[in-house]
Amino acid sequence: MTVVHYLNQFFAGLGGEEAADHETVRFDGPHGPGKALTAAGLPIDVTVACGDDRFALHEADCLVTLLAWIEEAGADVVVCGPSFGSGRYGYACGVLARELGRRGTPVVAAMTPDSPGVLASEGAAYIVPTTGNVAGMRDAVPVVASLASRLASGAVVGSPDEEGYLPRGLRANVRSEQLGAERALDLLLAKLNGELRTEIAPPTDRVAPPDPLGDPAAARVALVTEAGCVPQGNPDRLPTRHTNIWLRYPIGDRAELGPEDYLSVHAGFDTTEANRDPDRLVPLDAARALAEAGRIGRVHDEFFTTTGVDTPVAVSTRMGQEIGAELRNAGVDAVILTGT
Amino acid sequence: MGIPTVFITALPTIAQMVGANRIVRGVAITHPTGDPSLAAGDELALRVRILDRAVEMLAADVAPRTVWEIDA
Amino acid sequence: MSHTRADLEIAAFAVDEVVEGTLTGWDGTTLLVSSPQLAVGAGEPALAEATVEVVRPGDRVRITNVLDAVVPDVRADDSAASFPGVLGGTWDDTAHPRIHRLNGVAVLPVCDWEGAGLVGPEEFPPSYVDMAGPAQDRSPWGSTVNVVLTCAPARGAAVADVDAAIRRSALELARTLAATTLDATPTDVRRVGALPDADPDLPAVCAIVQVASEGPLTDTFFDGDDLRDLMPRMVDPAWLTAGRLTNGAYDWPGVRNTTANYQDLSLVRALDRAHGQTLRFAGLILAPGYLDTAEAKRRGAEASAALAAELGAAGAICTTFSSGNSHTDTMLTVRALESRGIVTTALVCETNGGLTDHVPEADCLVSTGNEDELVPAWTPDRIVGGGDGDAGRTIAMVHYLGSCVETGDGPWTAVPV
Repeated sequence: MTVVHYLNQFFAGLGGEEAADHETVRFDGPHGPGKALTAAGLPIDVTVACGDDRFALHEADCLVTLLAWIEEAGADVVVCGPSFGSGRYGYACGVLARELGRRGTPVVAAMTPDSPGVLASEGAAYIVPTTGNVAGMRDAVPVVASLASRLASGAVVGSPDEEGYLPRGLRANVRSEQLGAERALDLLLAKLNGELRTEIAPPTDRVAPPDPLGDPAAARVALVTEAGCVPQGNPDRLPTRHTNIWLRYPIGDRAELGPEDYLSVHAGFDTTEANRDPDRLVPLDAARALAEAGRIGRVHDEFFTTTGVDTPVAVSTRMGQEIGAELRNAGVDAVILTGT
Repeated sequence: MGIPTVFITALPTIAQMVGANRIVRGVAITHPTGDPSLAAGDELALRVRILDRAVEMLAADVAPRTVWEIDA
Repeated sequence: MSHTRADLEIAAFAVDEVVEGTLTGWDGTTLLVSSPQLAVGAGEPALAEATVEVVRPGDRVRITNVLDAVVPDVRADDSAASFPGVLGGTWDDTAHPRIHRLNGVAVLPVCDWEGAGLVGPEEFPPSYVDMAGPAQDRSPWGSTVNVVLTCAPARGAAVADVDAAIRRSALELARTLAATTLDATPTDVRRVGALPDADPDLPAVCAIVQVASEGPLTDTFFDGDDLRDLMPRMVDPAWLTAGRLTNGAYDWPGVRNTTANYQDLSLVRALDRAHGQTLRFAGLILAPGYLDTAEAKRRGAEASAALAAELGAAGAICTTFSSGNSHTDTMLTVRALESRGIVTTALVCETNGGLTDHVPEADCLVSTGNEDELVPAWTPDRIVGGGDGDAGRTIAMVHYLGSCVETGDGPWTAVPV
């Protein structure tokens, strides 16, 4: 049995946020949490790693390299992560899992149920749900090790409830007794009779694109950000991660968000460059220029901010709705939202 | 009816997956609306171009989960 | 309001056996096929070679590079009018078409575009029909006797010319095979035409069939002309049965339509059967998919809905063509219909990532299957059509011709696991 382990730069011991751009790299044997997996009965033969930002921005190239290494190793199963609450790491795990799934290689991953990696994997991975932070490692490792060993040996794996992984949202093809056209007729006649049936349930949280701005030159445009931009000193103590609050700050007559007055407290990216000029996150100076030129009507007189790190979907949904209500009350016509 | 919103991010794929409808690909994760490699004047010009594109998208009728680059 | 329908008769012939030999003809219930005598592709300068081979269910064969499937049909009343436009003849509104049709046999044109250097690598996804093995039942043509027409493009020929030659050759072959029955007695005769008056209290239901025409190798044809400028229009279902609508789109075989689908749409059959019983069949609308801009998509959707309203429809069934942004055309059409109070059902395929697009009004959907599902690997004894055919590798459902066709002609659907 050959097991390959995918890690990001941090868990591979290559560095923290400053190494997020690390190129793909391959090691023999276990690294980081791979040692815990080995101790739990899943010996890691090859470790492959990639910086979170590197993967996010050069996805196709990174995939080519990683998939080649995995194929060369002859992996019987691949473990991705655990990535816990990390958005970018989770995403990379999910995309890698999806690609491995298309090649018929079983994958086990571990992340929070809200991680973008769950959607990205498209059902290809057996994903063990974890806490948002590394404290969940101890619980996750034995479950991952057990699932992965059995998948590698071709053993049948039980249902999500039995085994402790997230439902994969997969839909399998079966032959119906009736042709699709006949079923369409049945469904339509039922619907005409007031009985609603469907073979595909609607996705639960899609929003249609709002109508476009009819007249940008007259529009009041608000700046909103999840980049964690706050006044120096973080006076209202916006959490650096796992926040459940958002804040609003008056812009007044400011021409820009200068580094003496503002900074980012976001724990999910390297804030060095942004802190030299916070307009790189909340583009006030450019927005002012557009208003001056008559391209937009005016910049709304406050900006809204939060930190999008380890934020559960339910919490960001609520925050979005609350901010939206404020914007509506203030007569804001459009929003420019920035994210990292 | 919602408020038209354009999301400037260097990770447009994730934005699409979670259902954002108007997305402009930002410069980088660490500076979506900036580029430290440029001289100050050029960087501001870039930022204005990004925002102008964002406004163009706010005024455009788009299909769900559409991504635009900074330059058409 | 209802539209007029041509009076059309389909004489179907059951085929118990297909035998290759020195003659092409019909003997009792046996179809005789002679490749040399057929001389397919003769007089087509854009083809270097065209050969015919019979492949049967149970043969350990994978057919690759399959472009289309065609039901052997001939106009017994006017052979030249078979597949109007493409084969040079024309449609006559005053005619009473009589079609002779072979059951259980299909013509499958095959061409390795990539091998001929006419398309880039990976430009066209693989297109398969397995005659045995775990995926035999993924394509309906795993169960028909297939007369495979393998075409090799002439060096230097333009791709559109090669395509036209292949389509002519395939439809010509289909006509010739059906024409062997002209003096024979059919197994079954069915007449379709103007529908009898029905109880006005029954709901009027229309069908909106989506097609796409985006350029050579991704076109749909009506009387041999491409439909690149199609706006929603009413069509007589008899026109489709009579071969006026033909396929020239060769990507994503599992989810786009074939000529055979148009020749015998299950949706039209079902609506004709139900007419006077549970509904009134109000009419058939042909609509474009893959319109280029959000604005064009909205206009197209509104135009379809306006036509449905003109037909007095209380309900509508919308089909989809292939994957990707055609699903947005379907969803916007559903929205436009529902906004006019027309109750709607739509047929779409699914992916591993769920639905490609959705609107809240699309609350009544038929799933024609998950196109991403991997089918178990198989190693055939023989590959017909060129390439390595992914022998021994798992293959996604979408690569099997007709597997998830969104006209609803297939039995496949997806359920949660």
